[in-house]
Amino acid sequence: MLKSIASRIGQTLIVIVGVAMLIFFLLRIVPGNAVATMMSEHADAATIARISAELGLDKPWYVQFWIYITGALHGDFGTSYALHRPVKELLLLSFPNTVKLAVLAALVAWIIGVLAGIVAAQKKNGFLDRIFMGFSLLGVSMPVFMVAMILQYTIAYKLHWLPISGGDSLKCFILPAIALGWNSAGSIARLTRSTLLEVLQEDYIDTARAKGRSQMGVIVLHALRNAMLPVLTMMALQLSSLLSGAVITETVFGINGIGRLAVDAISGRDIPLLQGTVLFTTVLVVLGNLVADCLYTVLDPRIRKEA
Amino acid sequence: MKKFAVLLLVLAMVFSFAACGGEKDTQVDVEPGLLRVAMLSDMATMDVAQTTDDYFVPMNVFDRLFEVKVVGDGVTDIVPSLVDTYSAADDSVTYNFTLKEGLKFSNGSALTASDVQFTFERLLTAGGVNDDIPLEVLGAAELQAGTADTLAGFVVADDLNFSITLAAPNAGFIAELTSPAISIVDKETFSEGFGMKIEETIGSGPYKVTEWVVNDHYTLEYNENYWGTAPTATKVVVNIVPDPSTQNLMYQNGELDMIDLGELDTSIVESTYKTKYADKIITSRRVGLTYFAMNANDEYLSDINVRKAIQMAVDRDAIVAGIFNNQATVEHGIIPAGVWGYNEDITKIPYDLEAAKQLLTDAGYAEGEVTIEIAMDSTSSSGTQLVIQVIQQNLIAAGINAQIKTYDESSWLALRNSGEMDCFVATWTMDYNDPANIMYTFYGSEAKTKIRSLNYADTEVMARVAAASSIIDDDARRAEYQALEEIIVIEDAAWLPLYENTHLFAIGDRVADFTPHWAGYTNFYAIDMIMK
Amino acid sequence: MHEEQLNPTLHSEEIIGEAETFKNQLLRLKRENKLAVFSAFVIFLFILAAVFAPLLTPYGYADEDIMNRLQPPSSEHWLGTDDAGRDVFTRLLYGARISLAVGIIPTMISILFGAMVGIIAGFVGGKVDAVIMRIADVMLAFPSMLLAMVIMYTLGDGIINIFLALALVNWASVARVVRSETLALKKSEYVEAARCIGVKQRVIMMRHILPNCLPSMIVLFTLNIPSSILAESSLSFLGVGIQLPQAAWGLMVNTGRQFFYSHPWLSLAPSIAIMIIVMAFNFLGDGLRDVMDPHLKK
Repeated sequence: MLKSIASRIGQTLIVIVGVAMLIFFLLRIVPGNAVATMMSEHADAATIARISAELGLDKPWYVQFWIYITGALHGDFGTSYALHRPVKELLLLSFPNTVKLAVLAALVAWIIGVLAGIVAAQKKNGFLDRIFMGFSLLGVSMPVFMVAMILQYTIAYKLHWLPISGGDSLKCFILPAIALGWNSAGSIARLTRSTLLEVLQEDYIDTARAKGRSQMGVIVLHALRNAMLPVLTMMALQLSSLLSGAVITETVFGINGIGRLAVDAISGRDIPLLQGTVLFTTVLVVLGNLVADCLYTVLDPRIRKEA
Repeated sequence: MKKFAVLLLVLAMVFSFAACGGEKDTQVDVEPGLLRVAMLSDMATMDVAQTTDDYFVPMNVFDRLFEVKVVGDGVTDIVPSLVDTYSAADDSVTYNFTLKEGLKFSNGSALTASDVQFTFERLLTAGGVNDDIPLEVLGAAELQAGTADTLAGFVVADDLNFSITLAAPNAGFIAELTSPAISIVDKETFSEGFGMKIEETIGSGPYKVTEWVVNDHYTLEYNENYWGTAPTATKVVVNIVPDPSTQNLMYQNGELDMIDLGELDTSIVESTYKTKYADKIITSRRVGLTYFAMNANDEYLSDINVRKAIQMAVDRDAIVAGIFNNQATVEHGIIPAGVWGYNEDITKIPYDLEAAKQLLTDAGYAEGEVTIEIAMDSTSSSGTQLVIQVIQQNLIAAGINAQIKTYDESSWLALRNSGEMDCFVATWTMDYNDPANIMYTFYGSEAKTKIRSLNYADTEVMARVAAASSIIDDDARRAEYQALEEIIVIEDAAWLPLYENTHLFAIGDRVADFTPHWAGYTNFYAIDMIMK
Repeated sequence: MHEEQLNPTLHSEEIIGEAETFKNQLLRLKRENKLAVFSAFVIFLFILAAVFAPLLTPYGYADEDIMNRLQPPSSEHWLGTDDAGRDVFTRLLYGARISLAVGIIPTMISILFGAMVGIIAGFVGGKVDAVIMRIADVMLAFPSMLLAMVIMYTLGDGIINIFLALALVNWASVARVVRSETLALKKSEYVEAARCIGVKQRVIMMRHILPNCLPSMIVLFTLNIPSSILAESSLSFLGVGIQLPQAAWGLMVNTGRQFFYSHPWLSLAPSIAIMIIVMAFNFLGDGLRDVMDPHLKK
């Protein structure tokens, strides 16, 4: 088992290096002069040249790559063109908001997803199955910003239950969390449903039934416990991808998170910011997946035996 | 089939949610004197040397020597601000100023003539973007080039008195001093963090910045050391809300005390604001104009007949009515309405599609032979993008093969600055109330015309535009600008003026009155917001 | 890495043993899952609408009429007009073309490319496998939306670039699945047999392995289409997607978004279209998966 975890860590390191290289090269072949954008109306050739030199953009690509890699290792992602601040500072400022949103959204997704999955599995192909699966699929089937705007209009504007946007209090994060979490609930619901259905066909479930347990009791006590493993893994994976930034949710609700930084970076052609944001979040996801994988290895009896 | 019907039912439930739910009045308790506004994006800096857009903090936290005051509907006056008295020599070259007594910055240190001197010198040496005005001062070029240590034309007599000598006469100099670019900074406390750190960004204006959470919000609070009357809005919170639709809903929900309706489509203003909030709307002229620039070096556009045909083919009245619901006025010249020197009686370009077609035929062009590309900046407002689409349809109707090509902002700027762009639509908003601001920027020199008016060729006109600012007699100067305008727009058909927008704001229940910036900027003086 | 470790022998036996024909599987789908069949019918209707768009409406998708912008639904304009006075119903029909294309074409490219790479990796093994799978790992490491954004940023706007970006984002997960199937098939008796009698590697891959991977490829194909359709709406939201005056549903939702509270039909109509097609593909994909490939449930 230790060996498999070690090799997994090794693979992860390779992936991180690959990610760093890919981001660098994708962003170096962009058309348009970033410095010209940054200086906007007032750029004359001399100023552009001076600023480019200051930012090291006039150096050959391998020198730039070296600066970028060694900087990133020290947590230095350069300075944002548009906001004139160190990318690191901006990332650290946004990250707590993204974490808040991601954790709340994950909770929403898990609650809706697992509940819907259980009910649907119990009433397979029945009326409730369709209703619950339909509801959880609805979130995935609409563009996220539609969900967000419908929520803003109904819950915040018409019913006045929650604020429309912004703010630091937890209250302000509820609507965005629902919009985002609903979006991920569908896949959890499907997985819960299908694994439960599979587990329900196993022999020991029949034994439990024979002992006179109610259907709900069987599900909660026996089936769910055994069906939860793949669901848990998926949850871990989802949390890490939620952390990577809910680009649209954050923009619509005016939350200063990682996703919005990425959007700002794209619209402002702010290469250091984009580079830093993508690298930061991707590495985060990779590490999240590593943890999920290790958890899986530790928890799953089949893999534990094989290793 | 039945199952699908169930799904549709669920959907219907969700959407009908929108229709129900009673309207309740939930005016949350807001502390008195607190003004809550929203902006689409955060400022990059509070330092005017480094920005030409982020003027909100400079306007509210700093003072200028003079300010523009709105004295009536569309009527403005230039009034002294930090300056007590001033006199100009007859030649408009040397100006003498006396500051008000007892002026202080928010940190308590005195504001003196040497702070003004420092302001001018710093704008020149900081390598920033706002050095146009100080560059007019005698010796500015030397200081910028590093061959002089001080600005020769700026002489400090004592703490209150100083004089400025220009390199060339300029009758509009006082007007220029109202620009936010000339915000007076404190020499003593000036440091590295100026513009980026709130505690190091010290001004003498009605407010000081007390909080700045990047990309989230920033807060201004009343500066107790302010020399003028205290504002009624003692605390201003600017929230960064990147989505205009969200801002719209926030205003309607009572979460904002003012909304800039310029961010919303006119139809929303029409259907929601003019009905539900009609008495809350504040109107201001956006002093400036949107124009269509044509490249004089282009294969087809170099022919004056083509340019004249284009001028006549664009239906500007329809644009103003159709896209802006008449929240704009058609412009006919270069100097926009609301600016000193505006000429109401300039020869007007008619909308005449048949004449435009005839002109092209007479010039020997076949239908669809004239091909031009309208370059569109992908970040331009949806209103501008619609205008470009209408112009394209107009030109096609006149037999011109007009194509729209979308560029991202940096490519668009690069292409425009290279002088290779065929044509484009853009808006110029005035920085100060003097025709020189627009005339000189667009037609003052070959370097300017290459970028701004796409290679306008007449060097004689350029020389006259450059010389006009030194005409001392106001009437003569106005006559000269208007004559030049007539040559450029009508004789040379080099410029197609489109319209001047009206800028609407809506104030909330907690606000009694609001006077927007004289030129209709999105940025406003919070002191002109009167809270209940 | 766990997929292929879960009892590969059983897996291969099932795929080969239960050699149920494609036709039989479809018949079973028809018998067992009415919802999937109905979904297929809905998809077919949308395709018809896309193909015959010009016959179904008198307007063009880019015909502007500034004087009649933002008209509410009427007998002349069934779904009203948008902010440039274009007929929304017409744009919905034409939008089906681009939205379906954005759903289908990049998915097809990513499936074909991913399958090819996956088979090579699984069959050849060794260093080739290691290199290919590490590249796939790198691609999979990116949150897909971020990667698509960055690729669009690099390539610039345009529909071809959207195809490319979405294909680049999706191929790696296909490669992974196909590789694990290939690994299982490689150990099967008849592949061993083919090898022994000296059949060329390429022939084994084309004749024996690829056909056996087809069911999962078809299922992945149907299930990946919805995410591509939705991705277009997100890219449009960010301003790097399809450009006006082209018609695509995501773009329509996005341009109609600012009018959501005053002229809701502008964004609701395309939203509902997206929702229906996405659900239809999802139900069809689920149904196909149930009959074709019980082991893809992960």
